[in-house]
Amino acid sequence: MRQWTSFGWWLGWRASALPLAIAASGCIQVRAPEKPIEINLNVKIQQEVVVRLQQDAKDLIDNNPELFPQ
Amino acid sequence: MTRIIRIIAPLAGFAAFATLGAAPAAAQDAVVSSAKAAGQVGEQADGYLGIRGSVSAEIRQAVDALNIRRRAAYTELAGKRGVTVQDVAAVTGCQTLRGRVSQGQIYRIGTGDWQTKGAGAISLPDYCAAAGN
Repeated sequence: MRQWTSFGWWLGWRASALPLAIAASGCIQVRAPEKPIEINLNVKIQQEVVVRLQQDAKDLIDNNPELFPQ
Repeated sequence: MTRIIRIIAPLAGFAAFATLGAAPAAAQDAVVSSAKAAGQVGEQADGYLGIRGSVSAEIRQAVDALNIRRRAAYTELAGKRGVTVQDVAAVTGCQTLRGRVSQGQIYRIGTGDWQTKGAGAISLPDYCAAAGN
């Protein structure tokens, strides 16, 4: 009986620790990413796409000013 | 009782860790703003912030964090419109270079050198002109 109780405790402990470990590793990645972003500076884009996205891009900036500090 | 403490303690520890890990967005903005004013950070035509020269870890982290958040916003919009993330980022880059770089701040187009904005408008990449403004 005593053995089972302690096994149950062990199981519960593992079950609760796993999501925490996953969440914690996610945090570390956001804070100090190993490869932040691969940026391709040579932009190739079709003019038709630019026309289509122009207003969307304006709205994106207006709606997320904290992403575009001046 | 001991069990409850054993369960709560790691949770509390995790909460404290999570709070530390998430640098406040306002602090990131302030770091980037002052780095822009100092000519260390600038807007790029690709829609992201870039770094000129070597900067402090604080600046680098703030720039990385903002670029990651920008990419998330670009990705969401790209999904809605059925275009690539790079398309959205580039069109947004046209906007930032057109209207959100102040005189004296640096910017970069393509893989070119960093340039300092003068009194006139920035000479934008050809594709930016497609929709006038």
